[in-house]
Amino acid sequence: MRAQAGMKLLTHNLLSSHVRGVGPRGFPLRIQATEIRVSPVDFNPDFVTRMIPKMEWAALVEAAESLGHLSELPRQLEEGYEKDEDFLRKVHHVLLEVEVVEGTLQCPESGRVFPISRGIPNMLLSDEEAAS
Amino acid sequence: MSALAPEERPPSLRDPPSPLPAGARYFCTVGRGLEPFLMREIRARLAVTQVEYVSGKVFFTTNSGLTMLKQLKSAERLFLLLKRQPPLIISSRSKGKVFNEIQRLVTGDPMCWVRAVSIWRSLELEENLPPEVAKPSKRKTGENENIVTKKLKIEQTLAMPGDAECQLEKQNSDKMEEHKDLTTEKENFQEEKSENDGEKEVEHHQGKLTFRVSCRCSGTIAKTFTTEEVGRVIGIALIKQFGWKADLRNPSLEIFIHLNDIYSVVGIPVFRLPLASRAYIKVAGLRSTIAWTMASLAEINVGAVVLDPMCGLGTILLEAAKEWPNASYLGADVSDSQLLGAFDNLKSAGLMDRIELFKFCVTELPLLSQSVDVIISDVPFGKKFKLGKDIKSVLHEMERVLCVGGTIVLLLSEDLHKYLQDYKESNITWNSSKDSTDEFKIVKYVNAEEKNRIQENVSSSFQDVRQECLDKRPLFGTLVQMECHKVSLGRTEAFISKYKKIHASELQQPS
Repeated sequence: MRAQAGMKLLTHNLLSSHVRGVGPRGFPLRIQATEIRVSPVDFNPDFVTRMIPKMEWAALVEAAESLGHLSELPRQLEEGYEKDEDFLRKVHHVLLEVEVVEGTLQCPESGRVFPISRGIPNMLLSDEEAAS
Repeated sequence: MSALAPEERPPSLRDPPSPLPAGARYFCTVGRGLEPFLMREIRARLAVTQVEYVSGKVFFTTNSGLTMLKQLKSAERLFLLLKRQPPLIISSRSKGKVFNEIQRLVTGDPMCWVRAVSIWRSLELEENLPPEVAKPSKRKTGENENIVTKKLKIEQTLAMPGDAECQLEKQNSDKMEEHKDLTTEKENFQEEKSENDGEKEVEHHQGKLTFRVSCRCSGTIAKTFTTEEVGRVIGIALIKQFGWKADLRNPSLEIFIHLNDIYSVVGIPVFRLPLASRAYIKVAGLRSTIAWTMASLAEINVGAVVLDPMCGLGTILLEAAKEWPNASYLGADVSDSQLLGAFDNLKSAGLMDRIELFKFCVTELPLLSQSVDVIISDVPFGKKFKLGKDIKSVLHEMERVLCVGGTIVLLLSEDLHKYLQDYKESNITWNSSKDSTDEFKIVKYVNAEEKNRIQENVSSSFQDVRQECLDKRPLFGTLVQMECHKVSLGRTEAFISKYKKIHASELQQPS
């Protein structure tokens, strides 16, 4: 049983440093990792197949690459991937098995940095904190 | 005249105990308002017949084994039903007459006690199996159920001695030996029951039992008797009738009696711990039964992204991820101590690979628009947030990050529920200058008749609440309320409210 939390790249693909859908998207957040963990997760092709359309593919590839875990993911998502188990396994690995335990997330526009500590990203965005 | 007089023994003693073609009759206690959910869950999980409910209890008949019964998530406790009859006739003038009435719960039909205890013993045998069998891995589950089925079969057919024992002997524990003896005796008893010495066998066999009576009285009887008095009458009747021994501390058998103006129910708890206290939850926040019920309404599909933006100790996420494992769960809180507690809970539940934690605030979700399929949350209004401005930003953010077609299930306090209903009715615009928490007057629900209503059959009132809330006008932006259920949190009431995000083009124009 794992003893630590971690931020998965699946979740990173949903995170944005700007709220209320206005202004710049604040996406994707740049990852700087000082501790990465790879922990096995049971492969479920159905889960991965349904997750892929929800992902911003380019952002996922960029994040995987920045962590050194590109795992042969193609730059472009190709059609018919649902039937390519080899491909689905690679996506599974990148989405669910690679986790950031310690590091930072940085907003691409404002440069604001959010710490990831013990696997839990601190994404507090409140105005007073942003001002300081 | 003694209650033990043989003449009073019903003739049924000489008839075979009624076989259980459809299994044994059970009931679950359940939080008020959750009865329909438990009925639905029971029908979905178990092969059952005769499912029905009254306020706070659901009755059903099933053949399913303990492993299956233990999976019920919206129930508080599970009991074997011993007796269910109309309320006792209480005449306040003669306490003695009422005592006789209470006594007759035991002496009126002793065989139903014998039958129930006999079924309970076969279940008890299962419950006390050594841990590696009692808490089987998935592979062993089937095997475990087999034993239960076999035991029940033995009960029913009164034949095939030794079959189940073969399996049990494998366990080789002293405890098992002891139970095996009991079983053998029970089987002997049933085989000999048609013979003349059957009655002695009953007494001999039942005589080993120690018991305790747990009594709950409400309504008229509660005004005349204390639960202690009722418990004592029942206890003495049981000692006289069956020769059982009272043991308040560590009885082998617990008798649960609930008397009120609607019914009299007698049952035997099947498990020592309530179903609602989960083995996999280390520190409970929200009630597990409520958390599970909320998740069951949320339509969590494979590959769904599920968010609890005010997760506290993570109870909702734990209940959801345990039941619907093929989804991705995100939990967030602003409090470090809550996050640490949630983290501990996830770790001990072994659900760290399905649930991720974040520190952020529900009024500013750091998530892309339309990135989440399901939001489930216990909204702690009154504690952390004020009505008015705060609920505005909360609902706005939830609506923004939710996909079209996505679901929100919230647990709302009465005040917040009322506020949202009023808001919908009056069509206030959130941005109006009148929108101020100072001007908002909370209309408290009057619960004066609540005490009297407790025992009422809630099926009709439940429907009313549901209908009242099924107003399809959008609540906020593109959020439409789908269902609303009033549930009890013990001392307080709350509402489970479900919303869907519809496409902007589907919106009705406000008149």
